[in-house]
Amino acid sequence: MAEAQKGWWLGWGASSVSLALSLVSALVLFSVLLVTNGKNPLDTYASIFGSTLGNGFGFSEIFVKMIPILFTAIAVALPARLGLVNVGGEGQLQLGALVAAAAALAAGTGTPSWVGIPITLVAGMVGGALWALVPAILRAKGWLNETISTLLLNYVAIRVVDYFVFGPLRDPSTSNVPQTTKFADGFLWPAFAGRIHLGIVFALVALVLFAVVINRTRWGYEIRAAGSNPLAARRHGLPVTAYVLLVLCAGGAIAGLAGTGEIMAIQGRLRPGFSPSYGYLGFLVAWLAGHRPLRILIMGFLVALIATGGDSLQIDQGLPSSTVSILMALILFMVLADAWRPDRLQDRIQAWLSAKKRGSA
Amino acid sequence: MTGGFLESWLGGAVLTSTPIFYAALGETIVEKAGLINLGVEGTMLVGASVSFAVASSTGSVAAGLLGGMVAGGLFNLLLGPLVIGWRANQLASGLALMFFGMGLSAFYGKPFVGSSLDGLRSFPVPWLSSLPFIGSILFKQDLLVYLMIPAAAGVWYLLSRTAWGLHLRAVGEDRLVAYAAGSRTGLLRHQALFLGGILAGVAGAHLSLAIAHTWTEGLTAGRGFIAVSLVIFAAWSPLRILPGALLFGGTLALQIQLQARGAQVSPFLLDMLPYLVTLVVLVLLRNSSRGRMPEGLKEVFESPREGK
Amino acid sequence: MLRKTVFLAATLFCLAFAVPWVSADTIVGVLHLGPINDAGYNQASHEGIEVLKQNIPGLKVLEAENVPETADAERVMEQMISKGATIIIAQSFGYLDPALNVAKKYPKVTFLHAAGYKLAPNLGTFWGNNFEAMYLAGIAAGAASKSGKLGFITAFPIPNILASINAFELGAKTVNPKVTTTVTYNNSFVDPVKEAAAVNALGDAGVDVITMIVDSPITVVKTAEARGIATVGFHSAALKQFAPKGWLTGVAYTWGDLYTKEVKAIIAGTWKSSHVRGGIESGYLTLADFGPSVSAETKARIAKAKADIIAGKLVIFQGPLKDNNGNIVIPEGKAGGIELLDTTNWLVEGVIGQAK
Repeated sequence: MAEAQKGWWLGWGASSVSLALSLVSALVLFSVLLVTNGKNPLDTYASIFGSTLGNGFGFSEIFVKMIPILFTAIAVALPARLGLVNVGGEGQLQLGALVAAAAALAAGTGTPSWVGIPITLVAGMVGGALWALVPAILRAKGWLNETISTLLLNYVAIRVVDYFVFGPLRDPSTSNVPQTTKFADGFLWPAFAGRIHLGIVFALVALVLFAVVINRTRWGYEIRAAGSNPLAARRHGLPVTAYVLLVLCAGGAIAGLAGTGEIMAIQGRLRPGFSPSYGYLGFLVAWLAGHRPLRILIMGFLVALIATGGDSLQIDQGLPSSTVSILMALILFMVLADAWRPDRLQDRIQAWLSAKKRGSA
Repeated sequence: MTGGFLESWLGGAVLTSTPIFYAALGETIVEKAGLINLGVEGTMLVGASVSFAVASSTGSVAAGLLGGMVAGGLFNLLLGPLVIGWRANQLASGLALMFFGMGLSAFYGKPFVGSSLDGLRSFPVPWLSSLPFIGSILFKQDLLVYLMIPAAAGVWYLLSRTAWGLHLRAVGEDRLVAYAAGSRTGLLRHQALFLGGILAGVAGAHLSLAIAHTWTEGLTAGRGFIAVSLVIFAAWSPLRILPGALLFGGTLALQIQLQARGAQVSPFLLDMLPYLVTLVVLVLLRNSSRGRMPEGLKEVFESPREGK
Repeated sequence: MLRKTVFLAATLFCLAFAVPWVSADTIVGVLHLGPINDAGYNQASHEGIEVLKQNIPGLKVLEAENVPETADAERVMEQMISKGATIIIAQSFGYLDPALNVAKKYPKVTFLHAAGYKLAPNLGTFWGNNFEAMYLAGIAAGAASKSGKLGFITAFPIPNILASINAFELGAKTVNPKVTTTVTYNNSFVDPVKEAAAVNALGDAGVDVITMIVDSPITVVKTAEARGIATVGFHSAALKQFAPKGWLTGVAYTWGDLYTKEVKAIIAGTWKSSHVRGGIESGYLTLADFGPSVSAETKARIAKAKADIIAGKLVIFQGPLKDNNGNIVIPEGKAGGIELLDTTNWLVEGVIGQAK
């Protein structure tokens, strides 16, 4: 099909149209639910999109939610290129936050930002990486699949954080409430537009690094090779075991930054339950994106948009908060099903274009 | 009414492990067919909310149970077209199903929050229940607890001794070969999903009708994911699901028991036990589960391809 | 013509000042942590809002349920403000920091936060002193228990819960000096399965009266009733229907009057930021109706204790008090007061369980 080389933009165009159509079909399905509950769908969608895209603060909030999701998505996508399934983003971000909190509290109040913020970055990455280490070793030795070990450790992580926040790290001055002391200013990540904070820079840097490493370096090439054919990779002498440890720990480290960002920029202290499932949302985004960096950006934005817009469903429309999950699931189904086949769409567009050419010739 | 520590703990363990058991049993059928459903949590929630709603509205626990089973079966089927027809990624689809179940159950269950039912009551088995020690642990429970062993045996029989089971396992091992041999792979896998969903629905119904006697959003609290872990733990054998569920239920129950008897351990550390114990035992028993994963499943885990 | 105009102008002038206490469509935004029909904490809050709406006609209320105590809470508050809310009621402890952040941005909006410990010029806090009512409930429990073992099911060892546990035990001790209270923590305010397991475990250990602080106490009440264990409810008087035989009494939040008072003050412009706290005399909490098994003697005892507390004659946390490890926590001659709601980090002698 010589016509297929027509232009990369054709593939792009088809993908975007396909995505848009998936969104629209999900919205149409969701309308059924709305109508049977006496709501006007157009009204509802106007308020969802109005409160997010049409409103300065709402728009900035999409990005605020996107920051941790980007981190956790990379944490899933990187190991996935090697063929590993990391479901542990939630636990890794909790431990990243914990270690970052401990470091900030230990280092003391006089620390200036140019020292404090790097400390939080390093600590957060160490925390997340450590939490991924055990599953990594278990997988490298062939003892236990990382899907299960990372999943189980998510539940343990929450309790570990609880233990420290109720115990050794508890703030004695705030009346024994389970939270740490407020972090000194030198450690906080500044915000600049609404609540969008420094984390967005780090997240985009991480995404770019991921893209460069996976697509343009030898390591990335070897990782992808080992991912598609582990047996052959081993026979060729690729250090698959080392890569297993590397990608899982690197993934954990990046997930750790998701937690660090939330507490250093948004919360200002460590409290139990600060993450509304960012780990799982990141997992979804990564798989929706086929673990490719640019698509992670797009899907991350989309998922953050829905999660943010969902509030207006409750406040404006009086629908129960659970409706957001329903909407999110419908969109996910449509996108996952690739219902509007971008490849077939692409063929059709091409056929139409060639027919036009022939017609006008 | 008072009982010794051991009796009380083991009795609690048996009760707690029941929902996890049924959900894991259902998921075993699904995974033997080469599919993995991370959304069992959603199916359980649908089962729990529907069974409570039906039982509340009709006044009949049996109707509620039936409703939960049917709802669970139908809900699980949703994964079918997605994963079989459209070949969507199984792991992400499962998670999407979980979100869907969470949302749906919360939405339609809302009118029932804050109400309560007597639900499924426990009843003693005559004669057996007066046996010392094991009498109160094993024989003073509710119907679904008693049915655990028959259910495990039934599923084992179905999978290993019937033609249907043989075809299903063939599909799970090598879909292409099974197809060439004449099996209707799509139909079989959908049937597995339906059956698995029924059992997950039972698990949810037990949670709302027998244990909690109420409905709240998110009643399952992660037990669906634990069930998925248990299937691997049990090396995909229906007969091993029960000991696995008891282990997990046992550690869950232990945490509460220790507190009730005044033990001086931090409640957070106690709460970690079930997951850590499961992890450790999984590692210790690694050799017995190696090589038992249905080949079809291996694809899902070991090559998450770019794009699809 | 001139007379008519003057008359019209004068009328309009008067009308403009005629309704000083409800400005056109005052909008109040309320954030709930859980669902409002949970027969527990959130329902109690919601019922208080309904009372508020009745007391101040013309008030518009935006309610959001299931708002998590994360970054989302700020967004929800901002959205309500963008819809015109000028008063925000944040009905859960974890909303404090989000509320403070939003309060800084919108100095014209007034924030009322439940159980907070920090103030801002436009943010005040409120809470009912649950431990006073728990003391009275403890008396009923102590009188009803034949085994002398009471049970307390809750989520986390935080100060205001610990204070309630202590008050409960102290109240029970006035009837039976040897009574014990066993505490279990579920690590979650909502986990009906764990709650049921806790009731059974406590029952097996010999407990015959149970109380709880969890968001939706139905499961505990029902499971206890099925086992013949007596119940003292918490959060909402709606629970009584679930335990017809075993119900003793309960502690219920009745926020309606508090909300009304605060909102009226805000509208009138006389509101000042403070920590509003009320004990049993304030009506922010009530002791629910007694069940059939509570004896007349016990009722009289409770009534007297209540009167004594209100009159200041009875101080619940009067020293010397020892914790359950034998250390003295309130020395002889001293007494603990309402600040214990925020500072308690110990469990009194007679309580079986961990404070940390």
